[in-house]
Amino acid sequence: MDYIIHLLILICIYLILAQSFNLIFGLGGLFNLAHVAVYAIGAYTTAILATEYNFGFYACLIFSALLAGLLALMIGEISLRLSHDYFAIGSLAFSAVVSALLINWKSLTRGVLGIPGIPRPELFNLDFNNIRNFLWLAALVALFSQAALYVIFRSSYARSLRAQAEFELAALALNRDTRLIKVFSFFIASCFAGVAGSLFAYYLNYIDPSSFSLGEMVSILTIVVVGRPGSFAGVMISTLILTAVLPEGLRFMKIDASILGPMRQMLHAVILFIVVYWNRARLFPVERVV
Amino acid sequence: MLLAENLEFSINGLQILNRVTFKVRSGETVGIIGPNGSGKTTLFNCISGFNIPNAGKIVFKGQDITEMPAFKRAALGLGRVFQNLGVFREMTVLENIVVAIEGRQPLAGTFWPWSRRNRENQKQALSYLKEVGLAGRAGDKASSLSGGQMRLLEIIRTLAFGADLFLLDEPTAGVSPKMKDDVAHLIIRLQRMQKTVLVIEHDINFIQKFCDRIMVLDVGRVVLDDTPENIRNNELLHEIYFGAGKEQENSSR
Repeated sequence: MDYIIHLLILICIYLILAQSFNLIFGLGGLFNLAHVAVYAIGAYTTAILATEYNFGFYACLIFSALLAGLLALMIGEISLRLSHDYFAIGSLAFSAVVSALLINWKSLTRGVLGIPGIPRPELFNLDFNNIRNFLWLAALVALFSQAALYVIFRSSYARSLRAQAEFELAALALNRDTRLIKVFSFFIASCFAGVAGSLFAYYLNYIDPSSFSLGEMVSILTIVVVGRPGSFAGVMISTLILTAVLPEGLRFMKIDASILGPMRQMLHAVILFIVVYWNRARLFPVERVV
Repeated sequence: MLLAENLEFSINGLQILNRVTFKVRSGETVGIIGPNGSGKTTLFNCISGFNIPNAGKIVFKGQDITEMPAFKRAALGLGRVFQNLGVFREMTVLENIVVAIEGRQPLAGTFWPWSRRNRENQKQALSYLKEVGLAGRAGDKASSLSGGQMRLLEIIRTLAFGADLFLLDEPTAGVSPKMKDDVAHLIIRLQRMQKTVLVIEHDINFIQKFCDRIMVLDVGRVVLDDTPENIRNNELLHEIYFGAGKEQENSSR
């Protein structure tokens, strides 16, 4: 039973992560490979504030969201000056810089040793060391995040984001400040990624740089691509399938545990390749010109 | 309404616009014709703000917009219809119009998806679609429309946006004769609404139906600017479009 609860908590975390990436990539058309970096910033912010400064849950959550958003503003300010393919490379470079900082800024992050002993939140007189109680908290945060993201996905802002993604010049001709629209999507999505990171840190009680690798970015990307970029419901379903159903399906194949872990990552990569290949015209359309 | 003064634009050493000067009065409909590569679309791009001219000035509604960002020019009332169909194909037909209507409204009023403003915008969008016979396709993706229907959608979208100056770049390119009539009727409607229209076209027969004047561009210069009747019979126009070869061919017969 505890294992099922563990999966449900992971689904809550990945729902926030994937849906926020869906905002930038699915609606905004921005192939942002720095999403895992802002997820990491959220996690480390909570880890440091909770362990070093005894900040409470709400403060950690807010600071994690804001710092992740601030980093996104910095990334966006520079990367969004680059055209599509170069933007992806630029965001990947930022991701690599953040990864290097997490590994090498040992006085702050303890490097590859990671930060242990992250205490569970203290709220409503509930013991969140009990995994069932933590599931309620994770579900509440995930529900709020999904509700907020759903409103954003249905809003006039989302229409502007989709318009500029499809034909930027036409969006400009309809009084859309496309640069501001993109930067704002970065900020909002990264705030949510920071929240996911915070939840992740609280749940595992320990984080280290290996949890925020390129492999993790591939997993997030796979979830969104399989669920159909831009589709809110689709990404919810693909999160469920790829986080819980598919990996658990592999367990029944009686594969050795030492192979099962790496196999999941390889499976994500293979699924991603197949789906991208079949949908390449839709996923990466030719840029429209006047 | 619009003044272009000594506009110059070059790219990679190639002079595309060469001291282009013209004026368009409010409510006027001006056709722009010229051979391929004469700089017509580049001229529109400079007016729209997608290209910044190397020299010269553009004044719109009394404001110097030469270096103004494109979206700010749109906010002033400058509308653009693109040569390569500027509809948002992945959006529905209705969403294309709603996006335009929202373009001149503050975000706060339209952000909440279920607001009264949004409902009103949708109703208004439907009424625009009715005018061009696309109300029945409101829920369809714009990509499912024919080329002619997309063209009508784009023009009515620019009207829904509230543009005062319409830059129509080859609005009948690849469109059936029936659709050409529909486009012509829409342009005449814009004229009745006192909108100012600049239209790039190759079909003189088409634009002479509704243009007050026609400008001829050749090698980045305005070489003729006159009424449709005078332009049609002008020898220089024949030379620009058909070249000196025609004269030689005639003389050899």
